[in-house]
Amino acid sequence: MSNVVLETENLEKVYELGRRKINALSEVNLRINKGDFISIMGPSGSGKTTLLNMLGCLDRPTKGKVILDDVDVTKVPEKSLCKFRKYKIGFIFQTFNLLPYLSAIENVELPMEGTKKSKSERRKRAHELLEIVGLSTREEHKPLRLSAGEQQRVAIARALANNPAIILADEPTGNLDIKTMFEIVRLLGRLNVTQETTIIMVTHDSHVAARAGRMLFLSDGKLLKKERKGMHLVKGDLTCPNCHKEIQPDDDFCRRCGKQL
Amino acid sequence: MVIIALGFSMAIMISIPAGILASQESYNSIISNMQEETNRTATLIEVSTSSGRGGFSGMPSGTSSGTPPFGFEREEVFINETIVGEIRTIEGIKDIVEFFETSSEETTSETISTPRGDFTMSRPVYTIMGVSLNSSLIDSYSVLPTDIIVGRNLQEGDTGVVLITSNITDYYEVGLGDEIEIYGESFTIVGIYEPESESSTASREVYMSISDAQIITGNTGNVSRLDVYAENDSYVEEIADVIETYSEAYDLGLYVTTYNDRMETYQTMLNNAESTLSQTQTVAFQEIVIAIGATSLIVLFTMLYTVRERTKEIGVLKAIGFSKGNVMSQFMLEGIMISLIAGVVGVVIGIVGAPLISSLLLPSVNQLSPQQGGFSGQAINFGTALSQSVTVSPDLQTVLLAFGAVVLLGAIGSLYPAWRASRTSPMEALRYE
Repeated sequence: MSNVVLETENLEKVYELGRRKINALSEVNLRINKGDFISIMGPSGSGKTTLLNMLGCLDRPTKGKVILDDVDVTKVPEKSLCKFRKYKIGFIFQTFNLLPYLSAIENVELPMEGTKKSKSERRKRAHELLEIVGLSTREEHKPLRLSAGEQQRVAIARALANNPAIILADEPTGNLDIKTMFEIVRLLGRLNVTQETTIIMVTHDSHVAARAGRMLFLSDGKLLKKERKGMHLVKGDLTCPNCHKEIQPDDDFCRRCGKQL
Repeated sequence: MVIIALGFSMAIMISIPAGILASQESYNSIISNMQEETNRTATLIEVSTSSGRGGFSGMPSGTSSGTPPFGFEREEVFINETIVGEIRTIEGIKDIVEFFETSSEETTSETISTPRGDFTMSRPVYTIMGVSLNSSLIDSYSVLPTDIIVGRNLQEGDTGVVLITSNITDYYEVGLGDEIEIYGESFTIVGIYEPESESSTASREVYMSISDAQIITGNTGNVSRLDVYAENDSYVEEIADVIETYSEAYDLGLYVTTYNDRMETYQTMLNNAESTLSQTQTVAFQEIVIAIGATSLIVLFTMLYTVRERTKEIGVLKAIGFSKGNVMSQFMLEGIMISLIAGVVGVVIGIVGAPLISSLLLPSVNQLSPQQGGFSGQAINFGTALSQSVTVSPDLQTVLLAFGAVVLLGAIGSLYPAWRASRTSPMEALRYE
């Protein structure tokens, strides 16, 4: 099996608004390897969300292929698509989208409903995940009693529930203040390192985007040729970008120079 | 809100059939009462001084006309014994049973609800029934009540004693052997009987010897009712004619009823009751249809609203991998849950409120109840303890049926909304605010 998790070939999406045709995406060729942490930047209207919907099997492209774990999902019938969404993809939204009447742990268990896992296994898994995102003490809280950052952590735990091949995060920090914004990005980075989660994060915030390993740019539905390396640290590269001291994935600050990571 | 609304629909579904059942029962009891009275004997001619007596006490519809009475100001007219003597001479008469019937001195006031409003009226507490305690008459005809609870029945030669219905002993809190004061005289209770029917005057009568009754009320020589028994059927009409002629000649104002008259009244009332019942059933059917319609519409709109309200949630569920079927069953389940809870609420409302609801929605149920009928005689009830009305109590089968219906309608009502929810595009739903 190749190392490629997600690949697109000449992806194209055309919306028809009356007689006008809008090219939301054209000729998008993307190749994402297992363990990548990629950010996609672009101004609003550049097609970021459209691309994410395509990758997340929520929408079908007009042309081109989306190959997820060696399967071209554009050919998969609608009925089976929900299986892909369930087991292969984890979504993180700008507005968290937790179910308000379920507690944190129930929200995390939700995607596991209808899987082979038993009730206690689901609970155990949800518990582990909440511990990973640092919310083990708040399991029974309803989303409304959690802060925005905490809600997004729950959402991240939920996205991880079925151990998906890829996490798609649509402006995950868009509704957060600066401090929590970096906490969340750092959490994603840490998950990428410790859990080897493949992450695609769409954002228009360059500071957030810069935390990823690779930064891609989308403009007018086209992926720009330029690609930048982000400051995300991957395994074996765990050094402070400022003073180059070796750091731990869980560190918030560099222990030598105090730079916020 | 929704649950309460649904609960009410269900309560209606419970109450209406219960009301129908109750009115049917009441109807049947009226019929059997009437039948009994009608068939009492073909040779009986009843002669009385007021229209309400002698016929049927407590009539459904029919006799009730005009404004309800505010009190009993009926002047009591009696038949003098000389006239009784004259009647005795008519050919073909076998026996005459004399009754002296009058109201108690004491009155009680009571509020009666009618479709035209509440009326407070005062009426006698009980009726004094003076009967001839001639043992051959007592044995041959139904003169005295038969259902003795304690003590003994009246017998020939009794004086200063009364036989009393259990309703009045409750009212006065007296028992067997106690003294009761009637028109200033003391009487000993020798027997207590169970009233034959809950209806009308029969439920609160005090039986005593006719001479006692005449003496205490100062009516020596007067009777208020005669049961005239003919030798055989062929004499009946003839005797009735003669008595009527007497009545006209002496301006006595007697009411004479024969078997044929009773049959006629019975037939009329039968028809009345039947048509009332069938009207009630029609109304009930319409109301149940409306309740069923309302239930499904309430569920339909509630669930449509819910689905709309939670579009985003549906989007999330689909995005995290819920299939169409999952979403559909989720919302179906919710609709059914709502109806289940509503069902429980409905059962409570239904059981508690069935009499009220059915009386509001089925006004004719009350018409069937004997008490509402003629205010003939003292056919009006006596405090709540003696109140007699159609008792509407839903039976288990009706309750379960209505419960099942509500849940089924809940499922049907949420079918379309759930289907719509399942068809929601996750992409659009997620964008929905």
